[in-house]
Amino acid sequence: MAEIRFEDITKKFGDKVILDRLNLSIEDGSFTVMIGPSGCGKTTLLRIIAGIGPQTSGKVYLDGEDISGLPPAKRNVAMVFQNYAIYPTMTVQENIEFGLKNNKVPKAERERLVKEISEIVGIGDMLNRKPSTLSGGQRQRIALARAMVKKPKVFLMDEPLSNLDAKLRVSMRTELIELHNRLKTTFVYVTHDQTEAMSMGTNIILMNKGIIQQEATPSVIYHDPDNLFTAQFIGSPQMNIIHFDDSAVCYGFRPEKVHLTNEPGQYFYTRRGTIVTKEMLGSETIYQVRYAGNSVMVKSLEDTFEQDSEVYVGVKQKNILLFDENEMRIRPEDPRYDGWMQKL
Amino acid sequence: MTDKSIARPAGYKTPWEKLRPYIYILPAMFFLALFTVYPVIDMVIRSFEKWNLVATPTWVGLDNYKYIFNRKEFIDAIWHTVTYAIFVVGLGLSLATLFAVWLSKSTFMNNLTRTVMFMPHVIALLSVAMVWAWIMNKNNGLLNLVLNFFGLPSLKWADSSDTAMMSIIIVALWKAIGYNTMLIYAAIQNVPAELYEAADLDNANSVKKFFKITLPMISPQMFMLLITATTGSFRVFDTVRVMTHGGPGTSTQVLVYYIYKQAFILNGKVGYAFAAAVVLMAMIGVLTLAYFRVLSKRVHYQ
Repeated sequence: MAEIRFEDITKKFGDKVILDRLNLSIEDGSFTVMIGPSGCGKTTLLRIIAGIGPQTSGKVYLDGEDISGLPPAKRNVAMVFQNYAIYPTMTVQENIEFGLKNNKVPKAERERLVKEISEIVGIGDMLNRKPSTLSGGQRQRIALARAMVKKPKVFLMDEPLSNLDAKLRVSMRTELIELHNRLKTTFVYVTHDQTEAMSMGTNIILMNKGIIQQEATPSVIYHDPDNLFTAQFIGSPQMNIIHFDDSAVCYGFRPEKVHLTNEPGQYFYTRRGTIVTKEMLGSETIYQVRYAGNSVMVKSLEDTFEQDSEVYVGVKQKNILLFDENEMRIRPEDPRYDGWMQKL
Repeated sequence: MTDKSIARPAGYKTPWEKLRPYIYILPAMFFLALFTVYPVIDMVIRSFEKWNLVATPTWVGLDNYKYIFNRKEFIDAIWHTVTYAIFVVGLGLSLATLFAVWLSKSTFMNNLTRTVMFMPHVIALLSVAMVWAWIMNKNNGLLNLVLNFFGLPSLKWADSSDTAMMSIIIVALWKAIGYNTMLIYAAIQNVPAELYEAADLDNANSVKKFFKITLPMISPQMFMLLITATTGSFRVFDTVRVMTHGGPGTSTQVLVYYIYKQAFILNGKVGYAFAAAVVLMAMIGVLTLAYFRVLSKRVHYQ
């Protein structure tokens, strides 16, 4: 129901430029996750959509309508804050209906909406309680209910799960996905947690230093990164990156794409090395293998290789990614691709 | 742990164990009793005695109370005190809140203004009494110059029984406002910014934001200020002593000044002074209790 478009957005804090002439579209109905290291401008962008941290220059469009100068309340967006920003002096009910009251929604309608939404998020029986008596997960639900009750065109979420414990975070993740499927509204979700981004997003926007590194589905971001930053930011352990001799050009492969063997196998890329460390994680084992001054991480289902033993590292050609001196990807259709591959 | 202690039934304590905690707090209790409880009891007892600071006191029962309550001077003193308290507390806190909200953005000018506003609090009142005497001078004082500038007639300020109480209230407000503003300002700074952002998204205007978010969030500090400001204004003395000596006539005679006068200016009226002091203590006590009863439910503690 709502497409968001940024046009030449610039944001400065004093002399510090956070975003410089940024252009971006967020698709209608998508679950778009903005991810990046701290200070990359993802939250700044979210606050620009909400109107609570307006841009220095540029325009924001919602469904083609210019909302750049509109006050937050007139934008038809709702936001869930990192620490929920629940009004601590109000009851749960008052928290949820505060916006409705300010918008002069009649009492009967208000009651009906609060009841309906609080049942959906599962806080129907705590409407008369004060937030201080509730747990973190329950407060999170109040914040969600407060956003949902306004029936906004866009949901903005600023690291909403970061204050929950690990178990609750996983279950809330599923609930948010279900919520998005049910509402079919545009979700814009900011996080620095790549698991959250990969598992929830239909679309990921990866940012660094105010610049969009790549915008794609989780699968494309993971398997087909545009640049070195994207390749290294997503994935755990990180992608192995090795520089060609005396060159800024480098190649990389993901730890789980490596095959470990005792004898040299039939792989495009084969090296002999020594296992330096071994971390047994249960279903998989992470080895650190060292060869010719390089150290690579290997994620393997086999836990039979021992520390200090000699192994062969093998990677298929399709699993090797090339990056040029500007840290941009060299794809197979690039004329430079074959030349560099020959060197391996 | 010895065998003996394991064999004891649960919850049993030897006499020494029962006594021990009380011995720990004994020193504190001793000084509290000596310097706080005893003087109060002594004050109440002496309010039933006739004494002139020299001769042996004699027991007169409720005579002191009958005397003071039958004199207009004492009843007036109560009303003067109440009037003073209502204005100083009411105006003092609302003005301070207004200033605190107004100056809440941390800019150079705002910080400077707050510091300047705080200064009266650290200056001894005696030393500024002269300045105020000049500001409120009935002939060519600053305040009258301002009034005349706007075409208003001059006032006699502290020299007239009509305006003397107002003059004292003005000086008290001037002295207290910076301190109150500072405390309220600090409380406002502690309100998380996201609450206001959430309120912006909830379409709350600034009046709503103040009454629904700011005020409830700073209510603990406001409650504390309300109680200290009230008890403080009921005990007002120095401004009156310095500026008007309770006059002209008895127009600015407040309770504490009345007590002081009975005990130290009029010889031999110590019994009346004690009786008045007991009345003052009862008033402050009842008022504080009332505050707790009526308001404490509306105070939001984190």
